[in-house]
Amino acid sequence: MSEIAVVAGGRAAWRDGPDTAPDTGPDTRRVLQLALAGLWLLDALLQYQPMMFSKAFGQTLAATADGNPGFIARPITWDATLIQQHAVALNVVFATIQLLLGLGIAFRPTARLALAASVAWSAGVWWFGEGLGGMLTGTANPVTGAPGAAILYALLAVLLWPARPAAARAARALWLVLWLTLAWLALQPANRAPRALHDTLASMGSGEPGRVAVLERDAAAVIGGHGLAASIVLAAAFTLVAIGVYLPRPAALSTLVLAVAIAVVIWVIGEAFGMILAGGATDPNSGPLLALLALAYWPARTAPGEGRRS
Amino acid sequence: MLPAWILDAFAAVMLAVAAVSAARAAAARPWRRGGTAVGTDVAHLLMAIAMIGMLTGSLRAIPVVAWESALSVLMAWFVFRAGRDVRTRGLRALPGAHLLHCAAMLYMFLAAAQQPSRYPALAYAFALALAGYAVWDLDRLSAGRPSVVTAGCRTAMGVTMAFMLIAMA
Repeated sequence: MSEIAVVAGGRAAWRDGPDTAPDTGPDTRRVLQLALAGLWLLDALLQYQPMMFSKAFGQTLAATADGNPGFIARPITWDATLIQQHAVALNVVFATIQLLLGLGIAFRPTARLALAASVAWSAGVWWFGEGLGGMLTGTANPVTGAPGAAILYALLAVLLWPARPAAARAARALWLVLWLTLAWLALQPANRAPRALHDTLASMGSGEPGRVAVLERDAAAVIGGHGLAASIVLAAAFTLVAIGVYLPRPAALSTLVLAVAIAVVIWVIGEAFGMILAGGATDPNSGPLLALLALAYWPARTAPGEGRRS
Repeated sequence: MLPAWILDAFAAVMLAVAAVSAARAAAARPWRRGGTAVGTDVAHLLMAIAMIGMLTGSLRAIPVVAWESALSVLMAWFVFRAGRDVRTRGLRALPGAHLLHCAAMLYMFLAAAQQPSRYPALAYAFALALAGYAVWDLDRLSAGRPSVVTAGCRTAMGVTMAFMLIAMA
């Protein structure tokens, strides 16, 4: 098991002992940090879209309160009302914070501060902007973005923390919990109903450009009334990915490849590219983040007698 | 609808980039023997002025067709330079940022002429690439290359262009 003692944040987060690799350019962890910075920058730019400066943005946030317990829903409703009343000012603040997070992570001297701030910001967005990803509503669907992109940003920031690497056990446990949660969500009654996945995919095409709409329609037609079977297959795949980091290196690599493939399929078909092309999206949704997470767990090469290499 | 003052704020950033680029180009004294090459600064200056016109209609003094022609010439120049430099110094010499910025600007002018844009996905692709390059540039800046001014101008230009592309899409 020690050979996969590896990656989150480029091998360093999993490996015991200090990283002694020579500094010959960005290491694996830094490259992943830059990818995270790029995603924050993209989020900021999406937040600057014209639609976000209208009351529609606040109304979108208010909708995430639906189905949540009162103590979760009430702050969301309060926050959404405030945003509707001060749409321009607050949206500029939100977009600029995300812009600074992206630039801050990219600039090495401020990377730690920005990563720490991104964890706090992501947690806030997960609650006030995503209603905890709908986790407590019984309708959260991993195919459409559960457990919520924001919490994945926070998770990535923790795993990619530049100082002392996260403990290998803790990092693996986080991975296990995340993917088992996805498996559990896939099997929830709202998601395993015969036409559930079909209806979800069919609705994703709304407002999308022609080709994406056709893709969603075709995918929905393929699933048809086999929602239960699809849920079981998805849950099995999620579970396999979940336990993958505990397997020997070759098997672990295979499950990580599977995780990336699942992330791509979820992003393209389940999330319609984060609905960015339809306008009104504030982030690319969970697909790219799941893929980035999988890359963060990629095992380092550990040839006999070899030092640390990426 | 985007509040006008946000567009003005980004235009002000571009104005600063234009001023810095003009000062650097002038300080390089390219007309004298031994003067430094000023291609990058002139390109930044041109693109910053073009962006100011796109962001603030009231400052749009040059016709769109003139900008399209100028940017096409600039793009051709960078493609030529890329071919030459890559042959002699390898892929690392590729002026990727300039090519990307020129192509994005050209796309913006062409897309603005036909609303709604026929290829909105391309706008997002350009925006993503510009954001990616800005992040990469900032990281390299922390490592001491390139200069603060060059990286600062490029990052400001990239972020502003990406903002405009997404606003237009």
